[in-house]
Amino acid sequence: MSREKLDQIAEQERARQSQFDKRVHCCVSTACLSAGAGSTIQALRDSVEAAPAGDKVEVVQTGCMGLCSRGPLVRVQEKSGEEVHYADVDSECAEELIAKTVSWDQGDEKPPELSPELKTVRERLETARKKRSLKKHVLSPDLPFFTKQFKVVLRDVGYVDPEKLEDYLAHGGYQALHKVLTEMSPEQVCDEMLGSGLRGRGGAGFPTGLKWNFVRREESNVKYVVVNGDEGDPGAYMDRTVMEDNPHQVLEGMMIAAYAVGANHGYFYIRAEYPIAVGRIRGAIRAARRRGILGKSVMGTDFSYSADVRIGAGAFVCGEETALIHSIEGKRGVPRMRPPYPSTSGLWGKPTLINNVETLANVPAIIKNGAEWYAQIGTEKSKGTKVFALAGQLTNTGLIEVPMGITLQEIVYEIGGDVPGDAEFKAAQTGGPSGGCIPNTHMDTPVDYESLQELDSIMGSGGLVIIDSTTSMPEFARFFMDFCVDESCGKCVPCRVGTVQIRTLLDKIIDGRGEPEDLDKLDALCKLVSSVSLCGLGQSAPNPVLSTLRFFRHEYEALIPCSA
Amino acid sequence: MADREFNMITLSIDTKTIQVPPGTNVLKAALDNGIHIPHLCYHHELSISGGCRLCLVEVEDQDQPVPSCGLTAAEGMVIQTQSEQLTELRRGVLDLFISDHPLDCVVCDKAGSCTLQEYAYEYGLKETSYEPTVSSTLFQDDNPFFLRDHQYCILCGRCVRVCDEIVGVHAIDFANRGFETNIATPYDGPMIDSTCVFCGNCVQVCPTAALMPVSRLQGGREWDLDRTISVCGYCGVGCEIEYASKDGNILYAQASEKGPANGPFLCTKGRYGWDFTTSPERLKHPMIRRDVAFDLGLTEEPWELPDTSPLDIRKPKVDEYFVPVDWDTALDYVSSQLADSVKNHGPDSIVGLASARCTNEENYIFQKFMRAVIGTNNIDHCARL
Repeated sequence: MSREKLDQIAEQERARQSQFDKRVHCCVSTACLSAGAGSTIQALRDSVEAAPAGDKVEVVQTGCMGLCSRGPLVRVQEKSGEEVHYADVDSECAEELIAKTVSWDQGDEKPPELSPELKTVRERLETARKKRSLKKHVLSPDLPFFTKQFKVVLRDVGYVDPEKLEDYLAHGGYQALHKVLTEMSPEQVCDEMLGSGLRGRGGAGFPTGLKWNFVRREESNVKYVVVNGDEGDPGAYMDRTVMEDNPHQVLEGMMIAAYAVGANHGYFYIRAEYPIAVGRIRGAIRAARRRGILGKSVMGTDFSYSADVRIGAGAFVCGEETALIHSIEGKRGVPRMRPPYPSTSGLWGKPTLINNVETLANVPAIIKNGAEWYAQIGTEKSKGTKVFALAGQLTNTGLIEVPMGITLQEIVYEIGGDVPGDAEFKAAQTGGPSGGCIPNTHMDTPVDYESLQELDSIMGSGGLVIIDSTTSMPEFARFFMDFCVDESCGKCVPCRVGTVQIRTLLDKIIDGRGEPEDLDKLDALCKLVSSVSLCGLGQSAPNPVLSTLRFFRHEYEALIPCSA
Repeated sequence: MADREFNMITLSIDTKTIQVPPGTNVLKAALDNGIHIPHLCYHHELSISGGCRLCLVEVEDQDQPVPSCGLTAAEGMVIQTQSEQLTELRRGVLDLFISDHPLDCVVCDKAGSCTLQEYAYEYGLKETSYEPTVSSTLFQDDNPFFLRDHQYCILCGRCVRVCDEIVGVHAIDFANRGFETNIATPYDGPMIDSTCVFCGNCVQVCPTAALMPVSRLQGGREWDLDRTISVCGYCGVGCEIEYASKDGNILYAQASEKGPANGPFLCTKGRYGWDFTTSPERLKHPMIRRDVAFDLGLTEEPWELPDTSPLDIRKPKVDEYFVPVDWDTALDYVSSQLADSVKNHGPDSIVGLASARCTNEENYIFQKFMRAVIGTNNIDHCARL
């Protein structure tokens, strides 16, 4: 389908949306769903159907609005653009919300015939009009949780209906792809990526433009793009959210990348534990195919592209690029040595570009607004924004997107609202099982790739766990080592046996059976495993232990009976 | 005709300048030039694994040591295979290996040819500095050829790779993950139900006692066994075999590793089919059937060939039916009978059946005999039957 036709659809959708006085967005992303958003959205829909002038209000299923700890979240958007956010919206609150949103003045209009069920809903709505509890649910837009964020990746998440391509088009979707296909050469696209300073958001932080150029320069008539949607870090759900809540954004980024490197086919590798994401991406692929955005002639140009979904099978190690490739090939998901790098020899031996979901989700905005625009956000070496899954012992947990360089102080105290209760903030852990803990003595640490590395941690994929004074750091480290023991693929002995031995030492110390020399032994073993392991999993598995030994050694020493 | 010349790569390993064809990995380059680098998962005939982490070397201008099996030799490369750092890393890795390995070298049959033991000795590792663990106690004794004792398995993967890449039957693979990994047949079925052809190549490439020939167990220490190099008698390939024996009894057979036809591999017949050597049924001298022997005046008692139905598959006792004779008597009898047959019924009354068990030279002489001496083209071979 040509650009003109797609623009028409976008225009039609915008027109359709503008006929409503109010649009009620209800988050049905995984976190809010588990908080009961399924009932909430049903109640909203029933209420709108039962209410007077309900046809002036549209209930829209959308994605994550960020403050997941207060879900289900609902937003009422006026035609003027004004917005009010509501938190903890159960079905009762939903009814009150609709009751207070619709216009009860029907004038001469005859009320429609309602079914018995809707009649009872109508009755409840009439009672709800007099209730006064809705105000308690309102989230002020001045909350630092909102004001301190800067949305690029998540800009349309929570606004678009992830199951409607028309909505994505109405929000300007696929314009970047069209620009790339009709106005830019592959080299120019790569240059734009280089200029933006975008770095891999999966954790390694490799310059995206550089990686694209490596693949672009390979000579092969078959190349692949792979989207790494394995997101294995416990507690991290940035990629899940983007895949669930704006799948077309990832698809568009993937296609721009494919054009830039010369690939005509690609795969989404999505972990099996994300069935909603799998469904949404598959739906997006189908819809895009139907509208000629995927296929032999993308949007009428001579670029052809097709994409498929491959589902994981419960292995964290398959987030590692070579293990991921083996998994797609139907082999055991075990890493191999590099070189050769996937850019030279990847999927089925062909040059392959593998990028993280969040990395690709940045691409359309970079193309639309330009590399300079993106490079203005963030710091000198870490451009752009980062999506974090803020979790742990914190008041406001959820999904946030902040400019690189924001301090830990701002995240924990302002956005996060500090640690609840009497406990005090002790440390922030970044990078999941591969990362380290930043203690509360380093609150002015800017969150960027280099600063975190200096403190023996990593940016990681975006998991940010807040730890308070009631948590034991050795036990915290052991949790992640348990994880690595479970997830080790078993190919190389330092990871397979080394992680077990590290955990045994941690158990010994935590159980009070530790001896004074055990800490040095632990340190030496961690360094051995780090330096000799075959892949990133083993190389970074000791990080939580090494980090807590560096900053919280006193907690370990306190557990050892006869230490000096 | 143009000569095909490799542009050889020149590199330096431990200050020794060596030349190798392009595409050679540094480990192979070193081993081929007599430079020792410890390795457990690498095998020159198999694909690269990179899992054992022992073959680390230092490359000039690179901070981190790299596994030499995965490093392609490049022009001008300068490699160090020995250093304090490397020794410490290798020792650390070996320490982890032996932490999950029974240290019963004293009674283990593999002692003397176990690579892990060799390196433990080289790096002075008497015991592990970690908590000893046993990741698998699985002991599988489900076929008459080899034993699978998983407590010794170091998961080098050589057995899997040889079964995949050389034999091509994919009977075994890694199962489970991480510390629980073990080598298994599909669904852990018995070996006989898998695609295994019992060639035993997995046993030969196994560096530890995880895979052992059943015939070998408790038969003697490796260094006490006599080694005889021979050529397999089963087929025309002529694989070179090394028989390990004690007091004249073969304990096991393996490829000698130097045979031009087979290298380090054998098939099930060569590796396990040697028990005929000590079979009581093995013929040691020429023998003539009793009735004929009596007619020739070699025995005193007459004898008749019993009437046996073709359905009777009981094998006749050799001693019951035959009398040993010397070569001259035997050859005289054979040649006179052959000559009679040719004279009375023509040369085509005789057919010669050759055997794969004979050498090429023997088969050549045999067919020459049939054509030139007997005068017939009736010659065939067991391979066609």
